[in-house]
Amino acid sequence: MAGKWQLKDHEAERAMFSRRLVVAAVFVLLLFAALIMKLVNLQISQYDYFSARSDGNRLHSQYVPPARGLIFDNRGKLLADNQPIFNLTIVHEQVEDLEVTLDYLDTLIDLSDDEREQFANRLRRNRVPFSSVPLRYVLSDAEKSRVAVNSYKLPGVAIEPQFVRQYPLAELTAHSVGYVSEINRAELDSLDDEERENYGGTNHIGKTGIERTYEDLLHGTVGYEIVEKNNRGQVMRRLDRTDPIAGKNISLYLDSQLQTAAEAALGDFRGAVVAIDPNTGGILAMVSKPGFDPNLFVTGISSKNYGVLVTDNINTPLFDRSTNPYPPGSTVKPFLGLGGLHHELVDYEFTIEDPGYFRLPGVSYRWGDYTLRTAIGGGHGHTDLQKAIYQSCDTFFYDLGNRMGIDTMHGFMSQFGFGQNFAVDINYARTGVLPSRDWKRETRGEPWYPGDTINSSIGQGYMWATPLQLATAASIMANKGKVIQPRMLKAVDGVPYEPVINDPVADVVVNDPDYWRYIEESMSMVVHRAYNDVFREYGTAYEAIAMADREMPYKMAGKSGSAQVVGISQAIMQSEDINVSDLNKDHALFISYAPAENPSIKPQIAIAVFVENGEHGSSVAGPIAKAVTDAYLLDILQIDFEALNSGGDELLSLVDE
Amino acid sequence: MNSQDFIRRSDGLDSKTRYHKSIWRTIHTDPPLLVGISLLCGFGLLVLFSASGGDVPVVQRQALTMIVGLVVMFIVAQFNVHFFRQWAPTLYAAGLALLALVLVVGVEANGAKSWLDLPGLPSFQPSELMKFVVPMLMAWYLASRPLPPRFKHLFWSAVMILVPAGLIIVQNDTGTAIMVTMSGIFVVLLAGIRWRIVIAGFIALLLASPAWYIFLAQGHQKNRILTFWDPYRDPTGAGYNIIQSQIAIGSGGIYGKGYGEGAQSHLDFIPESNTDFILAVLAEEFGLLGILFLISMYLFVLIRGSYIAYAANDMFSRLLAGSITLTFFFYVFVNMAMVSGLLPVIGLPLPLMSRGGTSVVTLFIGFGLLMSIQTHGRSKSI
Repeated sequence: MAGKWQLKDHEAERAMFSRRLVVAAVFVLLLFAALIMKLVNLQISQYDYFSARSDGNRLHSQYVPPARGLIFDNRGKLLADNQPIFNLTIVHEQVEDLEVTLDYLDTLIDLSDDEREQFANRLRRNRVPFSSVPLRYVLSDAEKSRVAVNSYKLPGVAIEPQFVRQYPLAELTAHSVGYVSEINRAELDSLDDEERENYGGTNHIGKTGIERTYEDLLHGTVGYEIVEKNNRGQVMRRLDRTDPIAGKNISLYLDSQLQTAAEAALGDFRGAVVAIDPNTGGILAMVSKPGFDPNLFVTGISSKNYGVLVTDNINTPLFDRSTNPYPPGSTVKPFLGLGGLHHELVDYEFTIEDPGYFRLPGVSYRWGDYTLRTAIGGGHGHTDLQKAIYQSCDTFFYDLGNRMGIDTMHGFMSQFGFGQNFAVDINYARTGVLPSRDWKRETRGEPWYPGDTINSSIGQGYMWATPLQLATAASIMANKGKVIQPRMLKAVDGVPYEPVINDPVADVVVNDPDYWRYIEESMSMVVHRAYNDVFREYGTAYEAIAMADREMPYKMAGKSGSAQVVGISQAIMQSEDINVSDLNKDHALFISYAPAENPSIKPQIAIAVFVENGEHGSSVAGPIAKAVTDAYLLDILQIDFEALNSGGDELLSLVDE
Repeated sequence: MNSQDFIRRSDGLDSKTRYHKSIWRTIHTDPPLLVGISLLCGFGLLVLFSASGGDVPVVQRQALTMIVGLVVMFIVAQFNVHFFRQWAPTLYAAGLALLALVLVVGVEANGAKSWLDLPGLPSFQPSELMKFVVPMLMAWYLASRPLPPRFKHLFWSAVMILVPAGLIIVQNDTGTAIMVTMSGIFVVLLAGIRWRIVIAGFIALLLASPAWYIFLAQGHQKNRILTFWDPYRDPTGAGYNIIQSQIAIGSGGIYGKGYGEGAQSHLDFIPESNTDFILAVLAEEFGLLGILFLISMYLFVLIRGSYIAYAANDMFSRLLAGSITLTFFFYVFVNMAMVSGLLPVIGLPLPLMSRGGTSVVTLFIGFGLLMSIQTHGRSKSI
């Protein structure tokens, strides 16, 4: 060992160590210098870039959807409300693997294939990056907590509160108020850029009824906010905000109590009731039965539920019977009779001898009297216009129509809204058909035959009208020619609404105003002319209305009608579990207004009732009109006719208010 | 007789006559080092408070760890450094035994099976001990040999470094293995290893690295290196940390966004914002000036450490103090370079800033050794 021993030179070693220390210090300083250069590069040279990146990380601009305006009936009852629900939403950009996330969510809240597909559709839609897309509307409390507890495993998944439409009356207003539902691709495409911007935060749009007609009023204006979001997409702070402008609250003329009464009056029948206040044109009730629950559509109807609605060929709940046309049948007779008086084709003294059928000169074909076909043979005998109305004598009107000619008939009837849509704000209503030579040539490519006129004079053949049109015509009759176009919207944010009508409809003017009284008297006889000794001289609806309610405190002017069923689909004809003979029954119709023939009070309500396969206008549709009228005059307006008839003029003024 | 005795005698001839005893020397504490460490600890707690989003318990726990560290430092400083020199081989042997024991009964945490959970003792990482035991042994070994070391000594030095480093790598704790290796290498470098050997070793390392990359590197290591070259090859995955950290640093600018105003960290865009990536929080909130302030505090500690090494009485003390100081620098630099994108991501904390337990105490043991070197048996005053 000693041989290998080498004496250490401590001073030299110490100097060497010090040199090494200096070298190390140089390295330390060089490395720090490199580090500082890197930091200068990041924090000074690239400051703007990274600053923007930092803001881009955290700052997100998002839409704030406006609250949709509420819809009230004419006495402040809610027809469409906004209710809070909790939605499960996903921000696609923040989800690592969408399939894995959806599969995991499936274990928490049971996603159906339907929901997955709808979600995929929503994702494909034009949307702002990093916007949240709903996966499931309406989470239950249990589902909400299951998702919340596991939220750390679910980046990009959030539970968001939202206000959605709720229709308290459900089926009752399904067609008239309509519903909102998720906005679709086509609707988005139909918007211009500015409108599309306005729908940036909105999931829903009015699809039918009032919701669609007044979409612009109800929707409001979108707001914006800039929010700071963290790494998991949670909003931490709101930095800037432009408040949305809520949609306007609107009130309708619709009276939910009358709507309920009308729906109840229809009973088990399919059909429609439209009631109009002739003084304002306000639509008091508009029922199509059966309805459906519009609330189902708001948050996306399942294909199963939707299937049930669309495959019901008999009840067709989605079909709005109040605004779709049917042959009006005998309900057109009072209008035609008025036309006959105006054009001096008949007068109060004019009579015919009715053999029970009508023949055109030189033609062997006999147009039978439909109203008599089930009764004993023969005709009405000696018949004037009044009897032709209250007994609904076809032969009289065959003759009148024939002498009037289609051109005059078209011109006169169109003043009452046949073949047109007089309604101010029900633009989806069909116009039906008021046939003319031009119409037949254009649609059928055929000339007009005299026989076509004969069919039209009793509201059959080519003539089609909607219950809304019939109620409109009845209200014009009630107003003695003054036209107040029907309307739904009564007030906006509490301010009475007067619609701008660009092309107002002219009033109906007849040569002698007494004609109105005469026709009203005739229509009143339909309801009130009692059985007497003379053969066939009672009103067709007497038994069902005035006789059924001998206490009836007011008079009602009415006219029944029945319309032949035109065509039943092959699918239904071949179906075994449907009684086809029931479906072949005539549709029953009734129009009316009341109170009639009352010097103290003007008519308050005009009604059209349509009962699908109801068979008898007088006995089936008539009592329904009576029930609705009772509900309005006696229950809602609570008019005291006894006091009124004993000459209380002051009461009249009360009612007018 | 051995060389140690000789050294002692030649150095301390008339020390007693010039000995000037101050209160600091009595309690074996070096005031400049203590001030530097305390400033860093205070600043670290301040940044951690913001980085943790105002989580008081987290800051309290970290403060407690630091106090424990200071106490440990104080206790270590009471021992004369020659006590450690005498016990270095024993400590080393014991350390190796514990590392071997870890392989058998170790407990796994954070992917590394490096914890010992012996009954009656708080659980700890023997690999942490090796961070100062290895340089201690190297200093003991080389200080008694003629310097610069001969090749034979270098060979044994390499064995003494690589055996524990290998055991730690087997535990799957690469970061600590690198630190242990570096702390040993720093001793060898300071001991005057010839430059041509250093350069040759460096070139050999460069040449070997492709082979390492192809044959030995694990998937996540390759990924880290690829991500280092281009963070945007996987911006939401492997590159996410470094991209977000660069955004935080860059958006801090010169003056920073202000204390507690760091959007990147407060909105959780920076992962590990309390630990390895805390520099990003500091840079975002205090800007370039904040980082320069931090670097200058580190420099202050480094300069004081270097001075202690320079002024030490014997070669063991010099080598140990030098290695501890350079290891401290290595920590600081690697972490800062990693967070700012100058080096690939290696899981190393920023000393005295990052939240952590065992590694903080290890640091303070190092500072304790520095203070021991500075305050025991020194004839000159500071």
